[in-house]
Amino acid sequence: MTDPDLDLVYTRLCATMTALGEPQANLFLARFALLAIDRIGDRETALQMVADAADGLPAPEVPRAG
Amino acid sequence: MSRPFTPYPFTLVRHPARLPSLTGNRDAGHHSVVIVGAGPVGYTVALGLAAHGVRSVLIEADDGVCVGSRAICISRRSLQIFERLGVLEGFLKIGLPWTGGRSFYRGEQVLHFTMPHDENQKLPPMVNLAQYHIEQILLDRAEALADLIDIRWQTRVTGVHTREDGTALSVETPLGAYTLDADWVVAADGGRSFVRESLGLALNGTTYEGRYVIVDILLESKRPTERLAYFDPPCNPGSTVLVHKQPDNVWRVDYQLKDGEDPDEAIKPENVIPRVTSLLEMMGERGGWSPIWIAMYRAHALTLDRYRHGRVLFAGDAAHLLPIFGVRGANSGIDDADNLAWKLALVVQGIAGDRLLDSYSDERVAAARENLAQGAKSTEFMAPPSFAFSLMREAVLGLATHHAGVRSLINPRQTSAIAYSSSPLNVADDTGAFRAGPAPGAVLPECPITILENGQSRLGHVTDLLGARFALLTFSEDGAVSSTAIEALARLSAAAVPIALCPISQRSATGARERLSVDHTGRLFAMFDAHPGTVYLLRPDGHVLGRWHSPDAAAIVDAVLHALDQS
Repeated sequence: MTDPDLDLVYTRLCATMTALGEPQANLFLARFALLAIDRIGDRETALQMVADAADGLPAPEVPRAG
Repeated sequence: MSRPFTPYPFTLVRHPARLPSLTGNRDAGHHSVVIVGAGPVGYTVALGLAAHGVRSVLIEADDGVCVGSRAICISRRSLQIFERLGVLEGFLKIGLPWTGGRSFYRGEQVLHFTMPHDENQKLPPMVNLAQYHIEQILLDRAEALADLIDIRWQTRVTGVHTREDGTALSVETPLGAYTLDADWVVAADGGRSFVRESLGLALNGTTYEGRYVIVDILLESKRPTERLAYFDPPCNPGSTVLVHKQPDNVWRVDYQLKDGEDPDEAIKPENVIPRVTSLLEMMGERGGWSPIWIAMYRAHALTLDRYRHGRVLFAGDAAHLLPIFGVRGANSGIDDADNLAWKLALVVQGIAGDRLLDSYSDERVAAARENLAQGAKSTEFMAPPSFAFSLMREAVLGLATHHAGVRSLINPRQTSAIAYSSSPLNVADDTGAFRAGPAPGAVLPECPITILENGQSRLGHVTDLLGARFALLTFSEDGAVSSTAIEALARLSAAAVPIALCPISQRSATGARERLSVDHTGRLFAMFDAHPGTVYLLRPDGHVLGRWHSPDAAAIVDAVLHALDQS
């Protein structure tokens, strides 16, 4: 994938999510993540991506049980 | 909407209380084993002991088999255990066999799963029948063995006094109270085990927030036996509903309560009946139906850290509580019982040292931890414990129709036989010795064979070779048995170890042997990576203890004596 390819996919992701609207953004990203995991097809790579995605995000101030 | 309740289509027999012959207020007899709790687990322990010729007293607080929404799914592994106890026929006669199920999301089918089933199998992967059927079948067998199993109904344990060399139990009956002494006590007295509480022991683990209403109904329907799961169904938006068929037109319906719903209100018939009605309408079931039983369920994933406490052994729900999703509750308890029975029998008979019972705890605690991990995954999908599990489940269900890759996440992960891979009893394989076959600790896989016996030939299966004894499977071209195997058998028999030689031949042979198995399909040798000279040593519960390609007699003898804590 070239830089312009990445640009294109990035823009399409944002545009698609914008069109769906913010209330559906979580579900959209969850679906995208599942399809990506399936396509990657490698446990270690996928686990590393889960860790990398969480890395640097601040912990919630009040622990939430959900 | 009012709809009258109907009883379960089952005739309950009430059993009277009975006092043993007493000396003062003490049972005059001396008991090797007292089992507390006549449920599926208690009966299985009693029948397992009886198969080894060991007597037991079985104490039950109630006056008959239990009714209510209890276990309904019995796994292939449990059926194999029941076959060895001589009760398989009843399960196959009454039980409804099934092999898979379907899951729906908002009315659309998103998964059709099947449990492992192929031409090698003798038994279905699962049968459905009510717990009162299960208990009645086991009770009938126990009553036929009255000289070995002393059942005492309406006898409630009120005190447990443990000593170094045994346990005294105080019991109450409508005819009076007494105490009885046991060398060993098996606590199979269920999730609220009195014995467990008396010993000050607590289960550890997770209790889930999500609640399910469990409803048994009477409904005439031609629908096949399968597991149906409805996620966010049109009849009950936002909920999850499970449907299982039982014998005699009884159906089990489980549905999830919504967040914030009051359990006390939700369980009232006026709130349950409309939900079941709309479910049946959605399913296209037009026949009349009646409610039988309504209960509230909350998933637990809990276990004791050890199942042996001196001379008290815990089994089934008294030892661990598993979520209903994946049907591991009763099935894991039956597996506990099968593991415990042969070990306790050999200890009582003085053939094994009591450390063998530590391996019961080691193996079954490890099995419970695996069951807990699997059960937790099933539960996290069926009753999502956080917004994130909910969100990801919605994503999975929404994608599953068109994306096969995510469908396995919906699979309910039904119970399967667990290998005791890290059991202290196992004899490790020589490195690289086997490329296939059940490794030490695993259960015997199924495969058809021809059994030649007394000049007769019949089709059978390799699990037919198991019994209340060790089994030495010796593989050969023509049924000849090596002098090594014969020597090992003689030495173990001399040490009073119950063991049978089970020769398996590649081709048919007319030897002088009493019993010979032939691999007529050619699949068994390949499945076990067996060659002429290969030996598999099996425990009485069908787990592999060790395997070798051409062992000397000492290897086999040492494996057994080490396991029995004799060496």
